[in-house]
Amino acid sequence: MADSGGDAVVVPVEATPTLRATVAHVAEAVARGEFSTIHFVVLASWRDEDPQGADRRADAEHVIDRARVWAETDLEDAGVGGTNVRTAIVGTDDYLFGPSDYARRLAAYADEHGVGTVVLDPEYTPVGNTTLLQPMEFELSSTSLDVREAPVERPTRRERLLTEATGIRFAAVFGVSLLFYFVLGDPLYWFDWVTGVASATIVAITLSRISLDHEPSFPETPLRILRGAVYVPVLLFEIVKSNLLVARVILDPRLPIDPTMNRVRVLVGGGLPLMTLSNSITLTPGTLTTRARDENLYVHSLIPSARDGLFDGSLERWTRFIYYGREAARLPTPRERDDVAILQGPEATEALPIAQADGGAVADSPSDDAAEAVNRDADAGSEADADADADAGSEVDADAEVTDE
Amino acid sequence: MSVVDATVVAGYTVGDFLLAASAGFVLLALGMLYRAVKGPTMQDRVLAVNVLGTNTVVILAMLGAALSEPTFLDIALIYALLNFLMAIAISKFTVERGGVL
Amino acid sequence: MIDSLEAVRMWLVVGFVLVGLFFTFVSMTGVIRLPDVYSRAHTASQADTLGAGFALAAVALVIGWDGAGFKTVILLFFIFLTNPTAAHGIARAAFEQGIVPWTEGDERR
Repeated sequence: MADSGGDAVVVPVEATPTLRATVAHVAEAVARGEFSTIHFVVLASWRDEDPQGADRRADAEHVIDRARVWAETDLEDAGVGGTNVRTAIVGTDDYLFGPSDYARRLAAYADEHGVGTVVLDPEYTPVGNTTLLQPMEFELSSTSLDVREAPVERPTRRERLLTEATGIRFAAVFGVSLLFYFVLGDPLYWFDWVTGVASATIVAITLSRISLDHEPSFPETPLRILRGAVYVPVLLFEIVKSNLLVARVILDPRLPIDPTMNRVRVLVGGGLPLMTLSNSITLTPGTLTTRARDENLYVHSLIPSARDGLFDGSLERWTRFIYYGREAARLPTPRERDDVAILQGPEATEALPIAQADGGAVADSPSDDAAEAVNRDADAGSEADADADADAGSEVDADAEVTDE
Repeated sequence: MSVVDATVVAGYTVGDFLLAASAGFVLLALGMLYRAVKGPTMQDRVLAVNVLGTNTVVILAMLGAALSEPTFLDIALIYALLNFLMAIAISKFTVERGGVL
Repeated sequence: MIDSLEAVRMWLVVGFVLVGLFFTFVSMTGVIRLPDVYSRAHTASQADTLGAGFALAAVALVIGWDGAGFKTVILLFFIFLTNPTAAHGIARAAFEQGIVPWTEGDERR
């Protein structure tokens, strides 16, 4: 791009109630001569290879087109011509997880196109997670970008809660809580109705925005539950089978274990699918998920055969089957994709992302702040690696490159 | 006639058997208590207490079945919830001092 | 007289409790014998979950299909969901505190 740094502005776009006002604000700024180019960007929370990828992309294109048309109309009304309005969808080759991923993608895009300013829509929450915007602003503040939030009249907190509370999520959480209450209580006794409805309402008001990050949708949600029901006996069988294997190892007087820490990059979305997968991995004996850093799972394995099973990725395919359907389950194993690494022992291919190498003395926790600890994971990891092993640093850098579009 | 009163062997009923099994679980719990006392790290202790808690839930449920006291199950359910909360809260607290949630 | 279905149910109860005791024994052995917190978390989350699962299944069989039996099933489901999560939380805390996993050749801790 020929634009000089401060002349362009990037606006991450999503279908929010305040998108129109945000676009208007940006157009005004352009009319005042602050910027000459507007980039509307959708940061994709999906991958194009997902079965619904095409639909999601079409939705995103629709939103982004609307934003462009609004901006052009506003600029025409203001009598400003010759402004460059560009649109882009980035991040469709990978799942984006936390705010740091979104911030990184945005910063990379800005770098590439010589953009110096970011204007954020105050309601911008690309994964439907209400706590994303502030951490993302925090992440962006550590880049060279100039960040500002569009001064849009924000609906008050109370109204927001109410609009969310009438939604489908509220109904889902309310229904499930009430059902659970009646299973424990007596649905034929009037007093249980009063207390049950009261408790379910409280639960739904306080937790409906936290416990669900996607709205339950008709064909998908029951299908997922159905496919989950298919998965349960399979998982149980696996658990019993490999538990016997591990029981033999543990009861063996020689205790023939060979524990190592491993890293696997898994191709499932964040939130519920990731939880399902990592809990399944933990439940199958011999493997234990210790850490989920975005899409990288750090898995501790007790015996080599369990590690091999993990690298063959059958649980990953099952998780994809549950959440995305049968076609999505056909993919190469993590080993074939070269998404695996052993972090310890003679076969180690990568250094352990733990700062201390002194044999397990308890050190002070690396971070005091809860939110920061999560957000800075990637950075903290790379520093620790640099201390422990020179190779490690390059690995983390390689991870960062993946994020480039 | 419920299953609890059915005779397994030599005059001992399923209820007796469940009580004996509960005693076995208590013995196993004593073994886990060793790890909870010895440690050496904080996480070892939390883990041991978590396993002890799961054991307690099982013992409670079996006692409830053996003595035909269904209310024991409610206590077991609450105990399981608290046990889980304990493990999560302590392990979060040790990493992010002061920030539990 | 106990009919044959009841007899099957009774022996299933006995069998489940014995299997549950066995896996809990494995879990206890693991928690005592294994060298570090990560490998102990393995048995704590897996063998113990299975042991508790079998024991609770036996309890559900004893109680039968009424309100309390349903509670036992919920309890079972809940244990299967929370035990690995708790083990993950504990192992994660150990990881964040910089405890390096034990490997072959290290001293036992």
